[in-house]
Amino acid sequence: MRRIKVRLQAQVEMCVHRVVTYENLASEWSPDLRFFVLVFSAENQAGTEALRQSGLANIAWIEGKGLQEGDIVVPVRDKQEVLVLLREADAHHSLFMTNRCNSYCLMCSQPPTLGDDGWLVGEAIDAVRHLRKSPPVLGLTGGEPLLLGTGLRQVLNAIEQEHPTTHVEILTNGRLFSNRQVVSDILDGLTMPARWLVPLYGHCNFVHDFVVQTQGAFDETIGGLLTLQAHGQQIQLRIVLIEPVLRVLPELAAFIGRNLPFVREVALMGCEPIGFALANRELCEVNLHEWGETLERSARTLRRFSIPYLFMNAPLCALPQSLWSDAHRSISDWKNEYAAECDGCAVKESCSGLFSWYERGWKPAPIRPIKQAETIV
Amino acid sequence: MPYIPQLQPFQARSLADGFIVATSRSGDFAFFSPSEFDQFQSAPATLPLEFQAELRARFLLGDTGPHPGTKRLITSRIAAKRETVLKGPALHIIVPTLQCAHSCQYCQVSRSLQDQGHTMSITDIEAACDTIFESASQTLTVEFQGGDPLIRFDLVKHAVLHLQRRNLSEQRRIRFVVASTLHQLDPDMCTFFKEYNVYLSTSIDGPRDLHNRNRPIPGRDSYERTVKGIELARELLGHDAVAALMTTTSSSLADPEAIVDEYVRLGFKDIFLRPLSSYGFAKRNQILLGYSVQKFFDFYQRGLKRVLHWNSHGVEIREVYACILLNKMLSTFDAGYVDLQSPTGAGSSVLVYNYDGYVYPSDEARMLAETGDKSLRMGRIGEPLENLLQSAVARSLAVASTVENAEGCCDCPYNKFCGPNPVDAQAQFGTLFIPVENTEHCQRHKGLFDAMFMEIRTADEDLLDLFYQWARPAAGVRD
Repeated sequence: MRRIKVRLQAQVEMCVHRVVTYENLASEWSPDLRFFVLVFSAENQAGTEALRQSGLANIAWIEGKGLQEGDIVVPVRDKQEVLVLLREADAHHSLFMTNRCNSYCLMCSQPPTLGDDGWLVGEAIDAVRHLRKSPPVLGLTGGEPLLLGTGLRQVLNAIEQEHPTTHVEILTNGRLFSNRQVVSDILDGLTMPARWLVPLYGHCNFVHDFVVQTQGAFDETIGGLLTLQAHGQQIQLRIVLIEPVLRVLPELAAFIGRNLPFVREVALMGCEPIGFALANRELCEVNLHEWGETLERSARTLRRFSIPYLFMNAPLCALPQSLWSDAHRSISDWKNEYAAECDGCAVKESCSGLFSWYERGWKPAPIRPIKQAETIV
Repeated sequence: MPYIPQLQPFQARSLADGFIVATSRSGDFAFFSPSEFDQFQSAPATLPLEFQAELRARFLLGDTGPHPGTKRLITSRIAAKRETVLKGPALHIIVPTLQCAHSCQYCQVSRSLQDQGHTMSITDIEAACDTIFESASQTLTVEFQGGDPLIRFDLVKHAVLHLQRRNLSEQRRIRFVVASTLHQLDPDMCTFFKEYNVYLSTSIDGPRDLHNRNRPIPGRDSYERTVKGIELARELLGHDAVAALMTTTSSSLADPEAIVDEYVRLGFKDIFLRPLSSYGFAKRNQILLGYSVQKFFDFYQRGLKRVLHWNSHGVEIREVYACILLNKMLSTFDAGYVDLQSPTGAGSSVLVYNYDGYVYPSDEARMLAETGDKSLRMGRIGEPLENLLQSAVARSLAVASTVENAEGCCDCPYNKFCGPNPVDAQAQFGTLFIPVENTEHCQRHKGLFDAMFMEIRTADEDLLDLFYQWARPAAGVRD
């Protein structure tokens, strides 16, 4: 999530605001929302203060480089900083639902914490209410959003009400759908367009359970997937390409083909070198280039079962050329970078690039510029 | 203790290549060398971990824990394999007439053109059409067989129009097929077929000489006239509007390659290397035309090899029998091939409305009636579908074809892909209930599954691609 240094009017509420320009304040203002007025001059700042004093309690001025009109932000307590929850210009939009999780994955990019963060539900609903333009897709991530139970449903309902055209993507391990109450709280009567992004790391229990470091997780995820299918929900399976997973990937692909043919697609994803992945580096750091044959065999297996697949977070130079057309630009805008080697690469435009923390972690493969001549098949 | 491997229910069988194939409840399979198999049975925990994982992924190994998710998964896999049987009759065969210009030795049923009386009444045709709509199935195939239905094109037309009229309100997806020699096909018929999306299915037994020997007509030009019909149909209806079936007689056995090549030459995308069943022709012709299961295997293996040869040279042609077997073995979704369903699709997913006014469970059953055994009549045309499906014949067929009831099937690893064929048993032994291993149906399919498993075990990646492609139910497996 982006953090931006700002100067902020004193005594603002520590909750969600929409950033608005001074000029557009009049046309966007609404009594049930909160606004930060982006000011560039002492005059605008004074004007905003005057308006506030005259009774518009839901506005305050803000000044900060890098803020954009329409940003949904929340101030960080005791710091002259805001978090940008949503930004209109981004290609990917997502809301962070909880930092708690019931799994403990080897390569978790967002290591879970125990503390109660139930307030995030309210913040998410607030963010949804403040959002000016409906994004085509809005992701809900964590942590494990199913832990929120009815809270997740409230967020879904808010999105459906405020942004009926938006497709929601919920990143979940699906395990809690083995609990009837959770199923009923979240799925009963749910008709909005939703897609569930569910990780699966093994073709049998001990492989998957090892990767997510939780006994019994495989069986619960399988049950969760069947529950989603029974409720007519769309599923994308997510497979993070770390060593213990790559070792079984062709078999995992065949397992999916035989048992889970109802999934809409399978996303094969490069590992994000942050969080637990750094601690478990010996299992998580792989040179994808060396696994090219495994990736091709797995893709071939998925094709045999007519299961669509795509590669995410995998730079083109790390993939065999036969798989380039399956690779997507998938890394969230705020953490997407290219290496120095990428300058002069002929396919940079269609390449996912790297996670910006590759410097502290690692690159998914040795990065090299692709020459124009190589792109002609 | 979690993760300590335990055997799950399975059946296994030794293959001729020395390996053992085992299948689990879900229909997943694994190959073992004899020593691996011993280890698997006595001490699975000592198998290499990767192999253990593969066996778990195929539900051949599990462990003690309660695994409600996995249990649901296996249940849903089994259900998917049965789905096609349970959704109601989808294939409806109408036999408007037994008249045919041919006098094929292996055909017991057809009557000459001068013959009177072996033709369906208009009342029965309309009643049959009405029964078809009583089926719960949203997708219906209506197939006209004979005799040669085109000799009574008027009846075919009447039935199609009647069905279409009713379908204005019923809104089902109806696929029409006419099985014919195509000798009578003319442009007017084609115009009608084009308007109503009627597909044609004809017979080509192989090269000209073989075909003409198998299918005699007075001018000895059956082959030429059928090919002419195919050309006309392709010209007016499109290349893929006509498919062909072949029947393997003892004269076919010598040269399967020539038969396959003939299909390639004629531009067909499917060839079905079908054995002759023991009851389609008069018993007196058995010695003349019949052959052993082993002879058929040899023929089939060579033919399949030839089909694969053409595919590896860029010619797209599928062998339909292999498609059926591979669908059972490799696909989660069942294509619903009637003869390998358990309980059988005969009399549940297929019904035959015969010229004689009776409803039969399958094409073979109505042919059996022509030999004098009328025991498989389900009821009269016009009876409510409900009654037909609940008839004593239908119930007996279901009982006799249920794998769980058949001792010989219980230990067979192919019981997830196959089932007893009681109509076949009735023809061969005069009773629905016969130990399955005595039936030709069982002997043939055990051998065919054995052969396909051996192919799969040693197949390279390109061949596996082809096999998975053939296994898809969209491959349009025909009955």
